[in-house]
Amino acid sequence: MEGDVFKSLLDYLHLIAAYTRINVKAQLEYRGAFFSQVAAMFINDAAWVVFWTFFFTRFPVLHGWTLTDVMTLWAVVTAGFGIAFGVMGNAHQLAPAIAHGELDLWLSHPRAVLPHFLLGRSVPTAWGDAAFGYAIYFAFIRPDFGRMAMFILLSFIVAVAFVGLGVMAGSLGFYIGNASSLSEQWRFAVITFSTYPPTLFDGAVKLLLFTLIPAGFVSYVPVETLRSMSIWDLLMSVGGALAVLAAGAGMFYHGLRRYESGNLISING
Amino acid sequence: MKAIAKYTWIAYTAARSNLAYAAEAMSRVVFMTVVLYIFMRLWAVVYAGAVTDQLAGLTHRKMLWYLVITEAIILSAPRVWAEVDQDVRTGRMAVQLIHPVSYVLAHFVMSMGERVVRFGINLAAGSIVALILAGPIRLTVSGLALFLVVLPLAFVLDFLGNFLVGLCAFWLESTTGLAVIYSRLVMLLGGVFLPIEIYPKGLQPVLRMLPFASMIYAPGRMFVEPHSGLLRETIIMQGGGLIVFATLVCVVQAVALRRLFSNGG
Repeated sequence: MEGDVFKSLLDYLHLIAAYTRINVKAQLEYRGAFFSQVAAMFINDAAWVVFWTFFFTRFPVLHGWTLTDVMTLWAVVTAGFGIAFGVMGNAHQLAPAIAHGELDLWLSHPRAVLPHFLLGRSVPTAWGDAAFGYAIYFAFIRPDFGRMAMFILLSFIVAVAFVGLGVMAGSLGFYIGNASSLSEQWRFAVITFSTYPPTLFDGAVKLLLFTLIPAGFVSYVPVETLRSMSIWDLLMSVGGALAVLAAGAGMFYHGLRRYESGNLISING
Repeated sequence: MKAIAKYTWIAYTAARSNLAYAAEAMSRVVFMTVVLYIFMRLWAVVYAGAVTDQLAGLTHRKMLWYLVITEAIILSAPRVWAEVDQDVRTGRMAVQLIHPVSYVLAHFVMSMGERVVRFGINLAAGSIVALILAGPIRLTVSGLALFLVVLPLAFVLDFLGNFLVGLCAFWLESTTGLAVIYSRLVMLLGGVFLPIEIYPKGLQPVLRMLPFASMIYAPGRMFVEPHSGLLRETIIMQGGGLIVFATLVCVVQAVALRRLFSNGG
């Protein structure tokens, strides 16, 4: 039984590696466009770091948060986001795919629908985010070995949370029809809130940030884990990310029962 | 006279068609509300810890209204670069060049029509948010008049910057990267989230010399703290920026058009 689970997990890891390789190769066909998008996202993220540097030069401490903490926050969020949508970029396309009846293609494959669909596309700019996250953490924070290992682990945990969020937001399409705009706004809200220090928010908003807008699990708890290096915080990060993913998968498979075919004939080239 | 009517009609059509996309306008409003809320919290914490009730010469309330204006400006920018990029890539530019309208002017009036509508919606939504979160500020007719002098010039400068990015499609495989860099320069060096006075002292004179501050910071500041000194400084910078950007557009377009090939069919 355990052997089967392990074999299945290994099988999916191979699938992820194969899809990522194919997706990146496809993007490299337009090498100039790909690298310019990656570089642009790197610069975009860097602009925010410069903004925070100016801010903290004038106001060195913000409710106990320093520039180093905000850099860590940006490193964790961008690395996690980059890995999530570099590998499973189709999460961004879930809402329009449902609205246009484009899931048919994925339903006809023997693989589980959700992971297979998510792997179908890679977002080129996400690689710029991932590169930025790792570069800023290693260059700016200069962690010791333990924190370096923890950061790498957390970047994958945050990626899981981001994928879960993408699936949750996209699955709205099963319930309200064309949910592209709402889904995008939801993702936007989480990303925006997750890149500001949590100490800015309290009361009902803080509750929202751990439930409806799960910014707490994509940045605040992982950053706290890096600060404290505590196993308890790590377990909270893992638990939070898995809860978001489980909520997303639950919404997807529940919603899939309501899915109506688009009768589209499409070829996945 | 006929030409003016023609371009006015193009601007009017662009403005009207923009009004039709309610969902897009709504998504900008939601995004703006989220950003304004976060920055309201950020500045609330900063002001609470400050020894004075003014930072960069602005009270907490004025700081939030400054953000309303700068956000309304930045989020109202039409994607001029993307349209020019597509015109170049698809060859549509060759067709448009034979129309009895100037290619640049047509895009300019279209962009202005679109921008005025977007800015109006953003300003209305931002004002409601600011009124709820911070309360009103005192506005004067003369102050609003000064604001209305610098705002259109800021839009013109931004249009020229965007147009230049789009023209780079003649040489680049994709101008998306360049557009992102341009928008970040405007955001960071223009003072969207931080008034120039908050930046390090050594950097402030440099930022004031660049055209980005006269696109964002100057209108924002003029709205909350209007004064003739700022108007003078802004007009000089906007005038200089217009000359430089307009010259660059003319030169780049002239060089680029030599690379334009059209295939009939």
